[in-house]
Amino acid sequence: MRRALVAAVCLVVAAAAFFVLGRGGDGPLRLTVTGTHYAVTVLIGEPVAGKGAVEVVLDAGDADTVVLSAVMPEMGHATPEVVAREPEPGRFLAEGGLFSMAGVWELVIRLTGPPGEEVLTAKALITGSLAEPGT
Amino acid sequence: MRRDPARARPARLLPAPPRVARPSPRRVRAARLLPVWAACLAAVLVAALPVPAEAHVVAAGADLRVAQTIAGTELTVVVEGVERVPGELRIGVVAYQPVTGPPVGLELRSVADGRTVTGTAHAGPEPRYTPLRVERAGPHELRLRAGDEVAVVPFRVLVERASAWEALIYGGLFTAGLLVVGGLLTGAPSRPRAAMLLAGGAAAGLTVAVTFVVLDPWLPPRPPDGAAPTAETGARGRPFAQGRVATVPARPAAGEEFTLRIDLVDGSTGLPVDDLAVHHEALAHLVVTSEDGRAFHHVHPLRTAPGRLEVRMRAQRPGRHLAYAELERQDSGGQLVTGEFTVGGEPSPAEPSPAESAATEPFPAEASSATASAEPAPTGSAGRPGPPRMEPAVPVAGRPATIEVETSGAVRPWLGMAGHLIVRSRDGAFLGHVHEMGSARGGRLRFTFGFPAAGRYLAWAQYATGDRIVTVPFTVDVAASETTP
Repeated sequence: MRRALVAAVCLVVAAAAFFVLGRGGDGPLRLTVTGTHYAVTVLIGEPVAGKGAVEVVLDAGDADTVVLSAVMPEMGHATPEVVAREPEPGRFLAEGGLFSMAGVWELVIRLTGPPGEEVLTAKALITGSLAEPGT
Repeated sequence: MRRDPARARPARLLPAPPRVARPSPRRVRAARLLPVWAACLAAVLVAALPVPAEAHVVAAGADLRVAQTIAGTELTVVVEGVERVPGELRIGVVAYQPVTGPPVGLELRSVADGRTVTGTAHAGPEPRYTPLRVERAGPHELRLRAGDEVAVVPFRVLVERASAWEALIYGGLFTAGLLVVGGLLTGAPSRPRAAMLLAGGAAAGLTVAVTFVVLDPWLPPRPPDGAAPTAETGARGRPFAQGRVATVPARPAAGEEFTLRIDLVDGSTGLPVDDLAVHHEALAHLVVTSEDGRAFHHVHPLRTAPGRLEVRMRAQRPGRHLAYAELERQDSGGQLVTGEFTVGGEPSPAEPSPAESAATEPFPAEASSATASAEPAPTGSAGRPGPPRMEPAVPVAGRPATIEVETSGAVRPWLGMAGHLIVRSRDGAFLGHVHEMGSARGGRLRFTFGFPAAGRYLAWAQYATGDRIVTVPFTVDVAASETTP
């Protein structure tokens, strides 16, 4: 009977741990946004503060340049614009540290090309923190 | 916060516990400890996983109601909550006065995949819903078109998800049942070691199931499908929005239509503010009064671009006008954005000031809750409401006063309330907005308001009847408090 009790406790603890650790997670983020002229898929391999290289893949529209910036409304933070390089056609990469702290960031994607300029936004939950909030 | 009715289902489906051997004293002690560690676990989970605030954010399954002043009409667009996607999203348009214009054009677009569906809605006292196909949860834009005006309302299609704990509850029950039935079929109870293992396994499964059934009311619900990501820690609230009020043209002429524009920027970043919450059924409540108070407009501007609100108006009186926009950013409190503009044209012949005239002339020269409604409230001799009554008769600054307003017909909710009272100080430096106290019976609306300082105030009570929005203007003289220095 003692084993049964131990097993029950282990199960519950495992379930709790699964729930606690399973929320949020640091897994890669994949976001799709569609505007009038362009549609993009945003990939953030490591949505962690201080990292967060952002890849923008064009799903529709012909953009020449992609410029990224980020805003964290709750803290009143905004980042400078980062011009994404285009390692291959239709795939843009920005490696500047866009996300300086953990929280919900609004990624602002400004695309320009023959169809015109358009600004798309996507929300990203960034976890972990290299800088303490408020610093 | 709405809770999924299905969350309670497992409790009703609990089968009778299987027969097990008489409990040993050790097991009894363990059972006694069950509530203790279960409570500890619940405390840890609740502390570690705070539920995000949802004030003024439409919950999954709830209707979204947004007032819009469009094409000269005061409308409320109702977006019904959805239970599943793909499915139908029903949209209706409520009118508060007779509508003769063409139907409102609807365009629903998923921001994620760009899929767009269109339809039309006919405004009426009761909404006639137009179903639009929605394929996925998440951010959407509803584009409203009436005449040559277009509004874009961003919102999220939220679909409530089943409890995250259901898998554990059903899994525990399934395991226990499987072990008991399988053990009985294989004769395991006759072998002490196997019987012990079976009983232990079944007890463990049942323990898990019962634990989560018991803790279910305290466990954090899963965010609905389509919800915006939320951080579990960090700051709450957002910086103030700073607004710039302007008119197009810059100096509108009396009697001519113009556009009042409010550009909102974040007080910290200077970037456009595009995260307004639906606050009392509107993205913003805009009150415009002439400086003398004889003109009054309570309208609901359209979001025409990120960070930009616009409404078309017509001011009959030349001179300085004051604008006040009540709004609320998500995860923040309400705030007031103010501005002013001047209407050109020749002033009309000398008229008594509102302070003197309102007591004898109960309706303003110009009042609207939409640009189309400039007519005064009904004044039939038989049904004419009397003047508002104060309690005390002369309100005292800093203390609550009750104001009763007689209505001219059956009242129906407008902006989620039976009545609205808007109060402005004579110099325009103060604006207050209070709602009816929920006792709109017997043809009376009751408001309680504390005037902040002594002096004369201009006040407008508003309510909706079957076919109009009625505005009742009056003035209030407030005495100084003897205890206030």
